[in-house]
Amino acid sequence: MNSGARAFGSQQANLFDAVPELLGAASRADRTSARPSFPFLRQAGKASGAFSRPVPVPESLPAMRARLLNTARQRVLFLALVFAALALVAMVQIFWLGADGAGSSNRSSINPLIPPRGEITDRNGIPLAVTYPAYSLYFYPQAMDGTGENPLVRQPADLVRELKAIFPDMDEASIAAKLASGKGGYLRKRILPEEANAVWALGEVALQSPQVLDRHYPQGRLAAHVVGGVADDGETQTGTFGMEAALDQWLSDPDTRGTPAALSIDARVQGALEDEMNRGMKLAKADGAAGVVLDVDTGEVIAMASFPDFNPNRVSQDDAKNTGNRVTYLRGELGSVFKPLTVAAGLDAGVITNLTRQWDASPVEVGGKSFEDFEDKGDALTIPEALAYSSNTVTMRVGAKLGAERLHRLWLDLGMDRPVDIEIKGTSTPLFPKAPWSPMTTQVAAFGHGFNVTPLHLANAYAAMVNGGIFRPATLHKVEPGASVPGTRVFKPSTSQKMRQLLRLVVKHGTGRNANAAATGFRVGGKTGSAEKLINGRYSTTRIIATFAAAFPMDRPRYVVVVALDEPKRTHAMAGRTAYFNAAPIVGNLIRRAGPMLGVRPDNVRDVDVSEFEYLLKDKS
Amino acid sequence: MMMTTARLRQIGWGALLTLCFAAFAVLSLSVHAVRNEAVLAEKQIVALKKKRQLLETEFQARASQHQLARWNRVDLGFVAPRADQYLEGRNELIALGVPLGPDAPAPVRFARADANETAEFARRKMVSPVSGRPIALASLNANEDGAGTLLVEAFGDYLIKASPIRPAKAQTASALSTDGTE
Repeated sequence: MNSGARAFGSQQANLFDAVPELLGAASRADRTSARPSFPFLRQAGKASGAFSRPVPVPESLPAMRARLLNTARQRVLFLALVFAALALVAMVQIFWLGADGAGSSNRSSINPLIPPRGEITDRNGIPLAVTYPAYSLYFYPQAMDGTGENPLVRQPADLVRELKAIFPDMDEASIAAKLASGKGGYLRKRILPEEANAVWALGEVALQSPQVLDRHYPQGRLAAHVVGGVADDGETQTGTFGMEAALDQWLSDPDTRGTPAALSIDARVQGALEDEMNRGMKLAKADGAAGVVLDVDTGEVIAMASFPDFNPNRVSQDDAKNTGNRVTYLRGELGSVFKPLTVAAGLDAGVITNLTRQWDASPVEVGGKSFEDFEDKGDALTIPEALAYSSNTVTMRVGAKLGAERLHRLWLDLGMDRPVDIEIKGTSTPLFPKAPWSPMTTQVAAFGHGFNVTPLHLANAYAAMVNGGIFRPATLHKVEPGASVPGTRVFKPSTSQKMRQLLRLVVKHGTGRNANAAATGFRVGGKTGSAEKLINGRYSTTRIIATFAAAFPMDRPRYVVVVALDEPKRTHAMAGRTAYFNAAPIVGNLIRRAGPMLGVRPDNVRDVDVSEFEYLLKDKS
Repeated sequence: MMMTTARLRQIGWGALLTLCFAAFAVLSLSVHAVRNEAVLAEKQIVALKKKRQLLETEFQARASQHQLARWNRVDLGFVAPRADQYLEGRNELIALGVPLGPDAPAPVRFARADANETAEFARRKMVSPVSGRPIALASLNANEDGAGTLLVEAFGDYLIKASPIRPAKAQTASALSTDGTE
């Protein structure tokens, strides 16, 4: 480059004189020259070969042209390399931004929004359990002067008085003791944002409101038994019972916990069920209650309530014993509600061929004991009458004709011998007599005695009876529309059709009339059951379990509702203690409220045709 | 001259190269600045979403199903729809518009305020609930003297806001004068 520049300078005068020729030569050389030479290399070669002072040789115009062209090309090449390097750097940076940019957005925006424990929602997305940073009230004595000797601006007594104004339920003595002790610690685990602001406004540096992770149940007591609870060790939350335990893996896995886990529960229906059950239970002064609403086609539990209940946000010592879910663990002989199932088995097996045939309704002597009807309605009853009047004797005779093996098989098919198949734990194992059954066991089992099951067992069996005959285990997971839990056929479709008619008849003219009155237009069908509790091996005459199992709308059953009251009493509000007086109105009121929410329209015109049996009941009711 | 041109060319290329480098640096810096802004915005979004979640949770807790049921029992009194409140098909819908027959019950009429009574109410003078004497708002005395007008023009709105008496149509002197009312 330097030698080239020098040569270029020495030839400056000649060059200017020969500019027109240079331009012409250049244009010629463009047409003729094959490749450029390197004049400074050539001159250096000459100089080294001659061992003498180089003699300036006037450079010819083509040589000069070639040299200049060469220089220009070198510069262009150099610039091209620089630009290529720049472009390469830019490309690398674009690639890096593209690759790393996505990663950084992952880190920056998605992770902080993924809760440390997943959310549980109802079937419509209403949150039932959430984890979020909540405020707490913490006493940090060192915050004031670093030593903790004078932690407060005010006198402790004054401060306690001002705190009491913010938290009216605060125990003044214990807080004063904590403040006076000079040791740091939580004064309250959970405070509301406005309470945190009020504490901040006090201006006490030692009172701080740090955020801690909190598992909160926004709906409070709603579906508390279904949702369950967690154990919190300060860093992680682990499900201990209910769906919190069943879904623990999903809720804690970083890959899945961002997606809320939807339960099959409908919060509105659940609210209505709890409201009606709570009121009915108080009116009947019952010890407890269990209720469930089941979708007969999918097996989804739409609502499940148990009383007494508890507040999952603040489980007190008294509440802790109420965490058991009576729908899955209240075990009892549910009694007459099983009579329709026996009749369905009779229809299915061909034991009952003509529904208007008269059956002997006189007392049954079996195993040295005599069984008679609760209310005498005559010596002979048809099957519709037997169900409407809840006849023990006719059902026992149907059971006897059906035989031990077939009745036993039916109860096995309906899952009465094993704990109910559902996601939540805490299900009790039924007390179920082993085969072979004696005539006494068979006939007693025909009207729902001699074996102990839970209300959910009953709801599953009713769903199978009215949905066309398919038995499905219940589920608390939301089932996608069009899908359903796989099931097995237990009853023929024709049997199911006939049972819808009979159950509607019972509610229209029999022991379930109160449910019909409360839910006009919803075509409710069902059966009551009031069974004495077995206390120390003897049936109590005063303590009963009153159950009403229903389905609606009976022209195309979609939901089964079972409500059981544990030891209801006869009160001023409830003229009796049987299911007719307490459980049936609860179910009726619930269906009236929840039916429209579930898409069932009340209709005063449409109904199941029961006219072929109504004449049988007219004379006796 | 030739020398100058070459130098200029060299300097030109150098300047262009420097310019490119500078532009590249500026671009890189601005890209980083935008990225930082994006990250900051994301952080703000996350913070806001968390706040929203907190508020939503509070709303849900305050409007839980049990609470709604209690309010409904005490205050609202909503009941589930009855069967006769539904319409079955087009025929029932059309029947809604059919003129009443001779023996049909009278349609339900809703209570409403009489327009004349409302006007009468508006003309009444405002009285003190304690003494029973008519009240004169500062704004209404605005036209009495110049000092008062000045005061009302300056502080009329504040006086109205600060006053314990809140008339439905309290206005300042300026608004009154444009309205032409007393």
